[in-house]
Amino acid sequence: MGPMRATLRALARRALGVTRVPTYYLPWLARPGLDCTLVLSNVEARFKVGYNRGPYALTVRQHDANGGLAQQHELTLRDVTDVVELPLAAVGAGYGIVTVEGERIHSDLYVTLSDGESYSATHGRGEWIERYAPHARLTHAVVGGPLAMAGRTIPAFTRHQYVYAGADSRSHLLVLNLSNVVNRVRAEVEAPPRAQLVAVPPLGARLLDVTALVEAGGETRARRLRLTGNAWFNVYVVGTGARDLAGPVSLMHVK
Amino acid sequence: MSSRPSALLSATFWEPGYEHLVEPVHQRDAAAVRRLASLDVAIHDESGKELASLPEDPGREILDLDRLVRDVAGADGRVMVLFDARYDERVFPYRPHHYAYLHRRGSTAPALYYAVNAVLGGVPERIGAAGLNNFETYVFRTSPFEERYSLLLGNVARFSTAEAEVFLHYERDRDTRNVTLGPKAHVEVDLPAERAGQRLRRVEVKGLFRLASYVVGRRAAGGELVLFDHLFRYFT
Repeated sequence: MGPMRATLRALARRALGVTRVPTYYLPWLARPGLDCTLVLSNVEARFKVGYNRGPYALTVRQHDANGGLAQQHELTLRDVTDVVELPLAAVGAGYGIVTVEGERIHSDLYVTLSDGESYSATHGRGEWIERYAPHARLTHAVVGGPLAMAGRTIPAFTRHQYVYAGADSRSHLLVLNLSNVVNRVRAEVEAPPRAQLVAVPPLGARLLDVTALVEAGGETRARRLRLTGNAWFNVYVVGTGARDLAGPVSLMHVK
Repeated sequence: MSSRPSALLSATFWEPGYEHLVEPVHQRDAAAVRRLASLDVAIHDESGKELASLPEDPGREILDLDRLVRDVAGADGRVMVLFDARYDERVFPYRPHHYAYLHRRGSTAPALYYAVNAVLGGVPERIGAAGLNNFETYVFRTSPFEERYSLLLGNVARFSTAEAEVFLHYERDRDTRNVTLGPKAHVEVDLPAERAGQRLRRVEVKGLFRLASYVVGRRAAGGELVLFDHLFRYFT
């Protein structure tokens, strides 16, 4: 993003009364036969003079796909090499956002998925959640509602992401709404043009099945996907194998 | 070898039997793709011997790494693949990175998607760290899985031998492996998940030079990759 565009965005956020709350978040995905466990540590603190003794208190909040707070955990890391594994419950649709709050937690925190035989892992992101003032939420509802009926959204944020689909593997997307407004995210591919609009509740998530947008047969092919949302959002890649979403899956962060 | 701020040298490892698709430009629109000025790909065997050096079309959005490597003479096992990318300055302040998609053909193991290890270049001044170091760590699950862990380490230097220490931290004890890699050589360092009844908790890699590094998990039965990720790098 150029400096001019960044300045305009900052001005727009101020006009709309948007605040950015620093937040460390991860995706979660669980169902019977698929265990989802967080791996929490603060190993980086060992090099932070004055902060490397512990203990470190953490609050973990697991939100369901509709953004509701499903579970909250308070836990403590004894010292800089302590590691806590926290299994997450398969609530609601079986996926969502989990946030981790703790003073001076800068290390990568991991979310792992396991079918009981092996596990895959990825890390979360230390970023922010956008909080829109009441008048901005009203604006989103008034303008965004009619646009949604036409399959469109307010194009406040755009992400480009390749998606992959083939006969025996795919990459789906877990779309995370990192704001306190309903985020209507439009996903579109070119040639042949296809689009899908998903309405993601505040702090909610939606699993975007790549086969709704691209053909999935034969050799795996990549397609460029353009995602546009009316508020801040991120995506995680959900990798699948020959059994697609019924089999073991992986999660992976993107830049 | 990358030597300009607008260059990026990255490395990955290719093994036979996988779909392996690389995005030279990650998460950008068509205009950004055009800001990749050139891309050279070099393929090295475990000893560091160069098997091929291939200039690639920087306008190509997806590089089929398997198709590229499997016909190269001598690439009959694992090889290290280096990507030397040069960027138009207008790409910045975006920090360029390659990403890739990896899946063993026909396997029920999930496809993996990963950031290709950026070894040299990019725009490190944006990280805001004064004490850049070469100290990486990774934390493992302690439950017993039917999974084998290892590290893939590669030396991207043209002329220098690189040394690194690998520390395996178990519940109480620690084990150390010393690694010496000639120019462009690589090695897979086995990380036993259990030692004297203690589970592997953490691995650390320390070295004077930055190495290409991946933490690897393979299904014990079939050997296919289920974990292929970067380690956590400290910025102090």
